[in-house]
Parts: sequence; C-alpha cells; structure tokens
Amino acid sequence: MVDTSHADPRGGPGPATLADTPGPQPVLHVRNLSKTFPGTRALDDVELDIAPGEVHALMGQNGSGKSTLIKLLAAYHSADPGAHAELEGVPFEVGRSVPDGLRFVHQDLGLILELSAQDNLALHGGFARGFGGRVLWRQQETETRRVLAAFDVDLDIHRPLAAATPVQRTVVAIAAALQGWEGGGVLVLDEPTAVLPHDEVERLFEVVAEVRRRGMSVLYVSHRMDEIFQLADRVTVLRGGRRVGTYDVSALDSRTLAGRMVGDDVDPDFRATVVAQVDQPVTLEARGIRGKWLRGVDLETRAGEILGIAGLAGAGALELPYVLAGKADAHASGEIRLPNSSPDWHDVSKARLDIPLVPADRQTEAVVAEFSVGENISLSALRSLGRRGRLAAKAEAALVESWSERLGVVSAGPSAPISTLSGGNQQKVILARCLAVGPRVLVMCEPTAGVDIGTRVSIYQIIADLAATGLTVIVASSDEGDLLALCTRILVLRDGVVAEELAADGLTKNVLIRAIEGAEQ
Amino acid sequence: MSVNVDERVSTPTEHREPGRGTGTPTSRWMSRLAVDKVGAIYVWIAIIVVFSIWVPETFPNITTAKQILNSNAITALAALSVTIPLAARVFDLSFALNMTLCGVAVAHFVVDGVPLIPAVGLGVLIGLAVGLINATVVVGMKIDSFIATLATGSLIQALITLVTNDTPISDVKLAGGFSKIGQTTSQGLILPVLYVAVVALGIWYLLEHTATGRRLYAVGFNQDAAKLAGVKVRRLQFLALVTSGVLAGTSGIVLASILGGGSPTAGTPYLLPGFAAVFLGATQLKNGRFNAGGTLIAVLLLGTGTTGLGLANAPQWSGSLFVGVVLIAALMVTGLQRRTTLAARPVPDKSEDLASA
Repeated sequence: MVDTSHADPRGGPGPATLADTPGPQPVLHVRNLSKTFPGTRALDDVELDIAPGEVHALMGQNGSGKSTLIKLLAAYHSADPGAHAELEGVPFEVGRSVPDGLRFVHQDLGLILELSAQDNLALHGGFARGFGGRVLWRQQETETRRVLAAFDVDLDIHRPLAAATPVQRTVVAIAAALQGWEGGGVLVLDEPTAVLPHDEVERLFEVVAEVRRRGMSVLYVSHRMDEIFQLADRVTVLRGGRRVGTYDVSALDSRTLAGRMVGDDVDPDFRATVVAQVDQPVTLEARGIRGKWLRGVDLETRAGEILGIAGLAGAGALELPYVLAGKADAHASGEIRLPNSSPDWHDVSKARLDIPLVPADRQTEAVVAEFSVGENISLSALRSLGRRGRLAAKAEAALVESWSERLGVVSAGPSAPISTLSGGNQQKVILARCLAVGPRVLVMCEPTAGVDIGTRVSIYQIIADLAATGLTVIVASSDEGDLLALCTRILVLRDGVVAEELAADGLTKNVLIRAIEGAEQ
Repeated sequence: MSVNVDERVSTPTEHREPGRGTGTPTSRWMSRLAVDKVGAIYVWIAIIVVFSIWVPETFPNITTAKQILNSNAITALAALSVTIPLAARVFDLSFALNMTLCGVAVAHFVVDGVPLIPAVGLGVLIGLAVGLINATVVVGMKIDSFIATLATGSLIQALITLVTNDTPISDVKLAGGFSKIGQTTSQGLILPVLYVAVVALGIWYLLEHTATGRRLYAVGFNQDAAKLAGVKVRRLQFLALVTSGVLAGTSGIVLASILGGGSPTAGTPYLLPGFAAVFLGATQLKNGRFNAGGTLIAVLLLGTGTTGLGLANAPQWSGSLFVGVVLIAALMVTGLQRRTTLAARPVPDKSEDLASA
C-alpha cells in the first residue's frame, strides 16, 4: 500500500498509479501536468493528489521539476495543453488561473522588509478604508493583531520587518497568504526552512500544525529530509521532471527516500573519511575574535584539518567565517596569523591575508548573476591571469576549464550564464572561485544551503579530497549534517564564545544538537 | 563515486550545445551579428535607408556622414567619460558641469596669457580635482553617487559662475593654438573624431582585456559578492570617478576649443544625450554591460537620426522625440529578451538559435 508506483522507481511513474488515494475526495487533484521549455521538458506528465488536512511533501533534487510544478500551480508559467486540475471538485485551468483556495508562500516570502508587518499584511489583504480612500489605521491595526494572534507570534507590528527574525518573517508571510481564507484549500509552502536557523524550524512546524488544525492541507516543498519525516503525512517524489511515486512517510526511511530522489543508493549519512591531523603544522591561529555576536573566540587549525563551527542563530557561528576571512565590517576585532607565511599577528579588520570565503547566501553574496560560469570562477584569481593588468584569455580559459573539471561543474560551457545552473552547480562554481587562488586555508559558511543531496555528497567528497592534500578548511553551518559529514573537530559556540570542542570521531547528531542548544549532558 | 552520481543525476538539466567558442567561424560571426546583440546597428541601417529615401538630395553622401561624425564627437566623448563609472554602477551626474568648468578655466588661462600647454594641463588637473572630490564624497563619505554628484555638480556650477560671471569668455588669443585642439580638419573630419577613437579604444581595452575591467563589472553587478570575492570595491569606485573626472574635463577643453571660447553653459546640453547614449550602448554588443563599442554605436544611431531629421526640415521638436522613442524602445526590447531568457532557463543564450536559424 505504500509504494504507489508499481513501476520500477528508476523508470518513472507507471501507467496507472496513485492507488492509495485516501478515501475522501482529494482537495487538490492534478493529472497530466507537463511543461515544456525550449529545449527541455521540465515537467513530464505529472499527477498529484492532496488529501484534506494532510501535509503533503514534495521532494526532488534541483532540476527535478519541483519549482516548475509550484510555478504552474501559481500560474507563473502556463502549462502544456492536456492538463487537468480540480480544487475541491471544481476544475480550474492550471497555469492560467489560481483558484482562491490555493495559497502560496514562495521561497523569498514576497515581503517588503522596509515595511512593517501591518503594511505587509495590508498589501496582501487590502487596507481597511474609510471615506475618500482614507486608511482606517486603528481598524487596520486591530485586524493585523487578530490575524497574527492565531499564530502566537510576538512581534512589533509597526517595526520594519527587516528587524524581525527569519521565522517571524515566515509567519507574517504565511499569515499574509492566508488572509481572507475561508477553510479548505491548500497552502503551498516553497522551501520555507531554507533560510531558517535550526532552532527556529520547530517554531515553523508549530505554525504548519496550526494551519493543518484549521482544516487546510499543506503542500510542503523542502530539501531537508528530516523535516519531511517530522512533518509530512505523504510525500511525492519528482526526479528529472517525472513523478517517481507518492509514498506514506511512515513507511519510508531516509535512505529509501534519498534513493527515490537520486535514483541510486546515495548515503544520506555520508561521512567523509578525513583523518584528524594532530601532528601537522598549524596553518591558522586566531585569538580574541570579536564582532557581531562574537565575544572573544580563539582557535587554531592544522594542515589537512576540517574544523566545524556550530551554534544557534545569534551565537556567532555564522558570523565567525566572515571575520576570519577579513570580510567583516570595521566593528570586528581580534588577531589572526598564518604561521606558514609569516609569524606576525594581524588585526582581522585590516589584514589582507586573502583567505577565500564561500559566503552563506549564494544569490546575494556569491554569484554575480550577470556573469558567465567562467567569469564567476575566475573572479578571485584575476591577478594571476596575465601580466601588467592584462587579462590573458587563454590563461583564464585554462583555469576555468581545469576547475570546472576537477569539481564536476555541469553546465553548457564556460560562457553559459551562471543563472542557467542548478543551485548545487552554482555552489561548485563558487567553490572553484575560492580554490582557484590556491589557498592554504579555506573558510566556508553554509556550504550546502539549497543544494540537493546528490550534489551535496559530491561537494563533501571534494572538500575531503582537498583536505587530504593539506588544505585547511573551516566550515560553519546551521546544518548539523554538513558538520558531521565533513569535520574532524567541531567548535560549538554559545553566546559568542567557544563553549565546547567536540571530536567528530563517534559523534552522533543528538550529542551535537544538545551541545549546540547548550542542554545539560 | 559520488561525483559520478551527481553527473548522471544532473544530466536532465544539462544542455550541451555548441558553445560560442567552439562553433565554426561562420556561426561565431553570425552570433556576433545577432539582433539581440547589435540590434541598434540594424535600426541604424533602417534609419539611413529611410532618410536616403526621404531626403535623397542631401542625406546619402559622404559629406553628411562626415558631418554626423564631426557634430557627435563631443557627445561621444561625454558618453565615454561616464562609461567606466557606470560599469561599476556609480553615477557621475556632475560630468557635464565639469566639462563646462574645465572649458572656461582653460579659456580663462589662455586669455590671461598662460601658454597653451600649461593652460591645458591645468584644465586637465581641474578635471582630476573634480574627480577626486566626487570620489571622496561618494566613496569616502559613503553618500549615494546619484545625490552626491548632483551636489558636487551644484558646487561646480557655483565655481563656473564665479569665474565667468555668467558671460562667455571670448578673445582673439583663443583663435590661435587653442582653437587648433578641436578645429583642426583633415579629410573633412575634425580632430576630436580621432580623440573619440583613442578614448574608445582605451576604454574597450580596459573593460574587455584587463582584470580591472572585469572587476569593475563585478562591482557593478553585485557589490557584495565582488567584495567577498576579494575585489577592492571602494578603490575601484574611487578610481572610476577620478577617471570620469579627467575624461569629462578633457572633453570640456576640446568642446571649448571647438566653440572658440569659454561658454558658461557649454557642457550642460551634453548631460542627457551622454547618459542616453551610454544606456542605449549598454544594450548593444555585451548585453547589460556598459561598453565602449556599444556607446559609439548608440551615439551614431542617435546622431544619424537627429541629423537626418534636420536635413529633412522636420520640426524642431522631432529630434528630442526621436531620442526618447529610441531609448524606450531599446530598453523595452532588452527587458523583454531578458525576461524570456529567464523564464525559459535553463536554456543557453538565444543568440545561438538565431545564429543557426
């Protein structure tokens, strides 16, 4: 009863599937949904049934067609002819119109951060207006409080959302999407946890539970497998634009699910084989690092070591990489030295040590969207390409070629726009950019955010291979999976200082999470 | 092994088509001539054809062609002088007033009896000083370049009025060596046409073939990413504004020489045509990037249109109307193209399809 696709999971959906459509009529019923772009079939004859009141997960790697499916439902793209869709028994033209019972919270949340929660809600749901179009502010405020009260969120509704925490913003976006909602229907959440710190994810789950309790179904798109097991009733897996199948979550384990997504047995509990390097020379020393959230961090790394930095949001873990790489603002202080190149200590806010950084937010901090793949790779290494400022095209092409090959970047070639690459491949490009300068120390922040599991493992493997050749890697991540998969040693930050140091050997996820949260052990 | 897994899984999104670098020479040339890259050239040809039919007696001849080049040399210099800062997404709205200032200053020096070469040197130094002030205000004081250069422009205007008392500087001394800078003619072309070629070549080399050029574009497209990738963002923005100060100052001196004196309003008329040409130029050759070649194409297109309208005795307002319509149309077409490419991703550049069609 579990595996509804009778066909071999590798062969895509069988002819007549979805055998276990639950008893009641599905809320959302979609058949024969396809989308063809010039040169590619992004979605191929996909079907989807969402039962009343269920949390239905949609999973798949980058490029599997998840986003295309969501964009079709939101009528952002038009569907190929032949699709059939019904919401609560009422047919609608999928890709052309969006029925009122279908509500969306997109990945970027669609909020205006300069405006307050109240204004954002009003922009979605309309302003309470009196004579002459005058906004009735008092009434508006009452309405805003009423809408937000349902989600138990503690937020100053008059302050710009830029000052709110990520989860508060997500809640506001959900509340905005649900305004004027009259029961039934489906709320589509597109990767809502992509930008949420670990400790705030639970909060989001409560909100999702609340939505479900009020009788709405949820279509939940995510990369993170543990969330699916915690939250969803059923999961539909897409691969290469086709539906692999729809499964009961209770009858799946993460290995099977990963296998369905990747089409092969990829190990979700992958651990890179990196040996702790106690007798190797010290490559980087830092002392008294202060900055945003940071209140004096000391650390030391050795050649071939992969050092993990863990911590809750606000503990300073995700800020530390920027300071170490000399890319933080002027408020950062502390001293750093690279004993390999010179015994001198440098002020971190002024040092020009050229330690490359893989930034946390790929889209805003790393990728130059208007540049090609090649231009993105060579950006940091331009100085080495040619003499007296002249850029030698051949040297650049060779550099790009060799790094694309080493990291297995899949693209239409070096001149392809970077925006045509999947998230995982874009991340490889950024990694290539950092490695192309030939660093001894590499600092990474959220190395696999928004990267699908297949590419994720290949990124782990690349980093591990580099460490084996003597590169020191410092990895900060809010995803414990990254740290467990990669690190030889993990520093846990709490309140801006190193609270614990854990050897990764034999470390379990639970122990790590407890350490991060500062629970008694 | 894992790398292999990834390769195979990603195959559905992979689109291996002949890259631009690997195509046959013919297809490479075809793709260079694709409408979305040099659309303005086709429009330009269309304009030439239209005016050749409309005013066959005066338009389609070499004299008109030379006249177009001569009368647009200063517009081209003005547009080129803001190309570099715009590549780094920094506005220099003070450039037109800077042109005026340097023009009147050199005229003033020459009238006062300063020998030609030191006078011109001083004028260029004034342009450099303006550039340094702009750079200090924008980069040092972190004020938005749009507002900051509007403000420094006002300061420059004050200085111009102080020097000239709002009356043009004219004197017989200006008819000597000074006038030769801009008025020397060879084969019916004035010397400034050569200056345009030299400056354009220099900017082309800088933006296309140097690391600095690549970094300037990176700063312009994504300042944060550029900074985190190790690009010295502030230094580049500083240098870009200094360069535009020097180039605008030099253009102003050439303009004063063409006019044969220091007019207190000489530069102002070049403000809008200059920016119009740079922005139109950014839609050409290297889509979305401010570049020297595109700027020149844009100047020629706009210049041919306005000259043609003049020869056809079209009403006075038609010139401005023409510039406005062309700008909106060009930017609209580029916007449409970008939206369709984005919507259709992941698919390689459209130009390949056009080229093979």
